[in-house]
Amino acid sequence: MLNDQSDQIPAEWMTAHFIKGMRDALRFPAWVVAASLVGVGPLAQSAGYSIEMAIASTLFVWAGPAQVLFFSGISAGMALPALAFVIGLSSMRFLPMTMALMPLLPMKDHSLPVQLTIGHMASVTVWAESLRRLPAIPEAQRVAYYLGFGAGCIGLSMISTGLGFMLSSAVPQAFGAGLLFLTPVFFTCSIAAGARNAADWLAIASGLFLEPVLSAWMGPEFDLLVLGLVGGTAAYLLKRRLKPHQGLFSS
Amino acid sequence: MMSLPLGIEHFLTMVLVAALPTGIWRIGGVLLARRLSNQSEIFEWVRFVATALLAGVVAKLLANPSGVLALAPLWGRMGAISLAFIAFMLCKRSVFVGVLVGEVMVITSVYLTAP
Repeated sequence: MLNDQSDQIPAEWMTAHFIKGMRDALRFPAWVVAASLVGVGPLAQSAGYSIEMAIASTLFVWAGPAQVLFFSGISAGMALPALAFVIGLSSMRFLPMTMALMPLLPMKDHSLPVQLTIGHMASVTVWAESLRRLPAIPEAQRVAYYLGFGAGCIGLSMISTGLGFMLSSAVPQAFGAGLLFLTPVFFTCSIAAGARNAADWLAIASGLFLEPVLSAWMGPEFDLLVLGLVGGTAAYLLKRRLKPHQGLFSS
Repeated sequence: MMSLPLGIEHFLTMVLVAALPTGIWRIGGVLLARRLSNQSEIFEWVRFVATALLAGVVAKLLANPSGVLALAPLWGRMGAISLAFIAFMLCKRSVFVGVLVGEVMVITSVYLTAP
């Protein structure tokens, strides 16, 4: 294992991998996340929040759907504890996502602050792209690459959130709808891009098609939790019946 | 109670109501993963759970659209995501093509239904 090499690698190499990660992000994925967060600007404005707060929400929350829920909820005058609860439920995906990153990043050798930074940067884009890209990168370079990739996505998105705030009245509504549609369409393509076998497709399809059934049946609170457990477990069991080493994002 | 300057009040609200309820899952994921061996079979299962959850979030965002996305009719949202997926698969899983086709469709559907 190359696990203990991070100390032996010259600092300028790590910078190079960080920059490479950032450059790869700015080649396309960062622009999509950034565009999907343009819509947060106008929402923050109608909630009575400042442009600094809109930008800060991208840095500190770093989850498009949660930011949209937050500013819409504030505008609608929702009680704050109830809003916090709804946002917490909507962000549950980050627990399995962050966990699944672990085997790809030799995180055990890094301090807790670095690990928590890795966890904080895990948005859907960063996560899906990392699962696809990291296996091809030497283990010792991965953390630097990942941090660069995440920083590129967050940095560009902070700019776009601010731009959205400033341009909010100038954006035609149909275009605004298109910006909000970016999140679901990009999530779909990102996870489908990494699908390799029937089990991966089962996980995706169960999420897409069971969700309306489950939310109608058990309400909008815990449907995602049940969905993740049922769909994920079914896919996992199917995977065990298929050949080994045909993983979702391993090539 | 002492009243805080608006900026600080907004910042605290944002951190407590949005950043913390989101971050807690990420922190939990890191702390749980630290306790497991990298070879653990649990990671395989967890990745499928995450994938199913993500797809569920997509379905939720499309079924209950927030903000101006609600201006796009249901057929527009569902049609756009379906066509985006078909285009994505036909073009060697090009995320760019998928996103582009979906966007054109959904924006068109808003214009077609505009009064």
